[in-house]
Amino acid sequence: MIRVSGLRKTYGDFAAVVDSSFEVETGEIFGVVGPNGAGKTTTLKMLAGLIEPTAGTAEVAGFDAEDPAMRHRLGFLPEESPLYEDMTPTSYLTFFADLYDVPRGVAKSRIAETLDRLDLEYRDRRIGDMSKGMKRKVAIARSLINDPDVLIYDEPASGLDPLTTNSVLEFTRELRDDDKTVIFSAHNLYHVESVCDRIIIMNEGRIIARGTVEEIRDEYGETTYHVFSDIDLPETEPTSDDRHRAVVDSMGEVETLQDAAADAGGSVVDIRTHEPSLEELFLDLTGRQMAGPRTAAATKPVGDKGVDTAADTAGEPEESP
Amino acid sequence: MSLRTRLRRIWRIARWEVSLGSTSLDRQTLLAGVALLLLAGGIAGAGLALGVDGLSPTQDIYRVGIDDDSPYYNVVADHAALSPQEPDREKLETGELDLIVAPAGNSGTVSLTVGGDDGEGVVEAGALGQSTVSVAHAPTEKGTAALTSFRAAVQGYNDRLMALEPNRTAAYPVSVRLQYRPQSSPTGARGGGSSETDAGSDDGTDTEGGDGAADDGSDGSNGGSDNDQSTDDDTNDGSTGDANLDVDDERDDPDVDNDDDSLLDGLLSGGNSQGSPAEISPPFPFSSLVLAFVFLVPMNFIIQAYGGTILNERINRRGELLLVAPIQRLDIVAGKTLPYLLAAVVAITGISLGVGGGLLSVAAVLPIALAFLASTFVGAMFARSFKELTFVTVTVSVFLTTYVFVPAIFTNVTPIALISPLTLVVMELQGEAVGLGGYVFATAPFFLGSTILFLLGVGVYREEDMFTQKPVPLKFLDAIDARLRGPKSVAVASALTIPFVFIGELLAIAALYVMPIEITVPLILVTIAAIEEVAKSIHIYAGIESDRFDRSIKTALLLGGLSGLGFFVGEKFTAIAQIVGLPELVLGQATLTPAGVTPATTLALFLGPLVLHTVTAAISALGARKDFRWYLVAMLAATLVHAAYNFAVVSAYV
Repeated sequence: MIRVSGLRKTYGDFAAVVDSSFEVETGEIFGVVGPNGAGKTTTLKMLAGLIEPTAGTAEVAGFDAEDPAMRHRLGFLPEESPLYEDMTPTSYLTFFADLYDVPRGVAKSRIAETLDRLDLEYRDRRIGDMSKGMKRKVAIARSLINDPDVLIYDEPASGLDPLTTNSVLEFTRELRDDDKTVIFSAHNLYHVESVCDRIIIMNEGRIIARGTVEEIRDEYGETTYHVFSDIDLPETEPTSDDRHRAVVDSMGEVETLQDAAADAGGSVVDIRTHEPSLEELFLDLTGRQMAGPRTAAATKPVGDKGVDTAADTAGEPEESP
Repeated sequence: MSLRTRLRRIWRIARWEVSLGSTSLDRQTLLAGVALLLLAGGIAGAGLALGVDGLSPTQDIYRVGIDDDSPYYNVVADHAALSPQEPDREKLETGELDLIVAPAGNSGTVSLTVGGDDGEGVVEAGALGQSTVSVAHAPTEKGTAALTSFRAAVQGYNDRLMALEPNRTAAYPVSVRLQYRPQSSPTGARGGGSSETDAGSDDGTDTEGGDGAADDGSDGSNGGSDNDQSTDDDTNDGSTGDANLDVDDERDDPDVDNDDDSLLDGLLSGGNSQGSPAEISPPFPFSSLVLAFVFLVPMNFIIQAYGGTILNERINRRGELLLVAPIQRLDIVAGKTLPYLLAAVVAITGISLGVGGGLLSVAAVLPIALAFLASTFVGAMFARSFKELTFVTVTVSVFLTTYVFVPAIFTNVTPIALISPLTLVVMELQGEAVGLGGYVFATAPFFLGSTILFLLGVGVYREEDMFTQKPVPLKFLDAIDARLRGPKSVAVASALTIPFVFIGELLAIAALYVMPIEITVPLILVTIAAIEEVAKSIHIYAGIESDRFDRSIKTALLLGGLSGLGFFVGEKFTAIAQIVGLPELVLGQATLTPAGVTPATTLALFLGPLVLHTVTAAISALGARKDFRWYLVAMLAATLVHAAYNFAVVSAYV
C-alpha cells in the first residue's frame, strides 16, 4: 500500500530525512518512532504530499505522493490540528466532505456513523467550546470523511487524558479491522507497542531499526539474568530482603555465580530473566547514536536492517540531492 | 482535473470563507451592533421629526437688540448665533446685549457698510436701500465678535436673496466662466470637450461682463429687471453688447455641463469655474480627492479582512488540512480570494453609480482592487504575525493610494496622470473620451502586477513556507525561488518584472517631474538604473542562495545573460507608453527612450539595450554567486554602468 524508496529531505546543509526506505502492507498499522527532530513528521508529510522530497520516491495507494489524486485515498491527522472554532463539528465535517466530493447523503450518514464510533455527543456545539479530547475526535472524524485506504496519524493521542487516549488507541485498532492501512507516529512508546504491527525507529533523520517489536528486541535487545544469592559475593549487591543480586548477560555467567556461591558456603536462590521494553530499546538505540554532523554530506543509504550511525558514515563521499 | 471540477471547488471554498467570516462574529456582537445602529437611527429620526436641526455650540450666543420692524430683524433671527432682543442701550453697557441695530429701515434687500472705531463700541451707519442704520456693539471682545457675526449674517442673508432672484443678470451682473485647457496631447484623447470653446481669451479665461448694475448695489431687485442692459463681452473689455443674456448662453452651451444627475456632481467639477466672481474657486483637484476617498476607503476595509483570513490559515497550521485535501493550491487561494474580490466589485460598482460613473469607472478601478488584494495576499504570506500584517496592509494602502491618487490630481494637466487608473474615472466623469490605448496604459501594469503577485504568493502557499517563521526578506527570496525551475526560467522571471519596473519608473517620474529638469534627469536616470538592476538580478540571487543554481562563474554568466535577454524582451512592452504620448515629455524621453522604447533608427541603438542588460545582469550575477554583500557591491557596479549608458544615450538623442 505504501512504498518509500530513498526518501530524502534537506534544507540547505541540514538533512531532515536521509534516504528512508520502507514498505507498509494493506491493513497494517505501521509505527514511526523516534526522538524529537528525528524526521518522523517530515517523513509523514512527504507521504501526505505536503512536503516535496529532495530525492527519492514515495508511493501511496498506487499514486505518487505528490499526485493530488492520491489525496482522495488518504486521511491525514497532523500532530496539531487546529480547527475552525466558530464552526460546529457537523458543518466542519460537511465542508471537508464537500471538498472530497463525497455525495451529501453519504457524507451525512458517514459523519453520523463516525461520530457515533468516536462517541462524540455534542455535534452542533461550537468547536471552540469543546474540550481538547473532543476536538481531537472531530479531527479524527475529518481524517475519515473520504473513507480513505491510508491513514497517517501523527501523535493522535498527544495531550489527551488516559480515558480519551485509550479510546483513540482502541479506535485505531478498529481501523485495522476495517482493512485500513495506518501509519502511526507517537512519542509514547507504550502506545506504539500496543497498537503497531511493525515499527521503524528514526534518529537524526535516518531509520536506525525496523521490524516488529519482537524482532527489534531480538536483534538489538539483550536478555539479562538477575541472579539472587543468600550470600554476599564480589559481583552482587544487597537487596532489601537480605538477599544479594547480580545482573549478568549469559547463562555461563549464571553458572559461574552458582559455583562461586557454593564455594562460599551459600547458594543461588532465584534466577530471573528480563526482556527489554521498547522504551529501553529505543533509549539504548538512540543513545548509541553518536553526535556527528547532521548534514546532507554525512549520509549514506540505509540498508534493510542494521544500525547506521554517523560514525559509520563519516568520510563517505558527498552525494548530490 | 476538469475545469468544471476546479471551479466547483473554488466556489465551495469561497462559500466556506463567507460562512467562516459570518460565524466569526458572535451573536452578541452582532446584536449589539444592530442595537447601536437602531439607536443611532432612532435618535437621528427623532431629531428630524422634532425639527431639531442646526444645533450648534454657538446657538444664540450673541444677543442683538433690534426692533421687530427692522429690515435686519430677519437677518438676526435667521442666524444661529444671533438672538434678537429688545433694543436698549443701557443693556449694551451692562453687558446684557452684545449689539444694537437701530433705527429700523424699510424692507427689502439689505446691504451693510460698517465703519468706525470698534474700540469705542459704536460703529457708524450702514446702508439699507434708502435707509441707514447704526450698529453699536458692546466694548468687549464678545461685542466685537458679535459684530463680525452680524456682518456675516447680513452677507449670507443677501446671498440667499440673490440666489432666489429669478432675474439672474440682475442678481449677478458679472458672470465668469473659466475653462481649463489641458497641455497639448498628441492623441487628442485628453481634454475632450473642454478644449472646445466658442469664446475665451488666450489664457483660457472666458469672462462674461454684466451691465455694472451692481456698482453700488442700489438698484436692488428693481435693477435686475432691466435685462436689456446686460452685455455679452467675451473679451472682457467692458463694452456694452447685445441683449443676449449670458445666463441663457450658458444653459445652451454644450461645453458647459449643467447636468445635475448625481449628488456628487458639484463636488466633482474640479473647483467652481463659473458663476459670479465671488463663486469662482481655484481648480483644486477636489474631484480626485473625493474619488480617491470614496473608492479607496472600502478597499482598506476589504484588505484588512482579507489579510486577516490569509494569516489565520497560517496561524497554528490551520490551513494544513486544506493543503492535504485534493485541491490545487491555486484553487485554494482563488476560493479564499473570491469573496473579497466580489465585495470589492460590488463596492466599486456602487460607488461608480453613486458618483455618476459608468462601466469605464468600474473597469478602471477593478485593477486597483486587484492590486490591493494581490499585494495584501503576498504580504500576508510573508508576515509572521498580525502585527507584521498590520504593517503590510498599511504599507500597501499608502503606496497604492499614493500611486493612484497623486497622478489623478493632474488629470487635465499632464499625460503622466494616466499612469493612474483613477485618472480614467475622472476623465469619464468629466465627459472626456478614453481610448483603448489609454486604458491599457493605465491598467495593464496593475493587471499584470497583480497576477504576478498572486502567483508569487501561491508559490509559497505550501506547507514548507506557510508555517515557518522566517524573516520577511528570506520568505521573499523563497517565493521567488519557488517560481524558478531551470536557467530559462530566469529569463522569464526577468521579463515578468517589467510591470513592477514600469510602475516604479512611472512613479519616479510622477514624483520628480515637478522638479527642475536639470536636476530630475540625472537623479531619475540613476534611480531607474537601480530599479532595473534589482529586477534583473534578485531572482538570480534567490536561485543561487537556495542552491537551485551552482555558484560557478560559467553559471553566473549564463544566468546573467538570460536575465538580460528576458528583460530586454519584456521591456519592449513598455512601448505602450507611446500610446499616451508620455515620451513627448522631455522627462519621458530621458527615462523611457534610452531603455529602447522608441523604435530604433539604427541597429546599434536597437541592440544597445540588449548588450547593456546582459552585461549588467551578468555583473550582478557574478556578485550573487559569492554572498549577499558581494551581490550588493556587484549590483551597485551594474547600476553605475547602466546609469552611465543612460547618460550617454540621453546626451546623444534628447
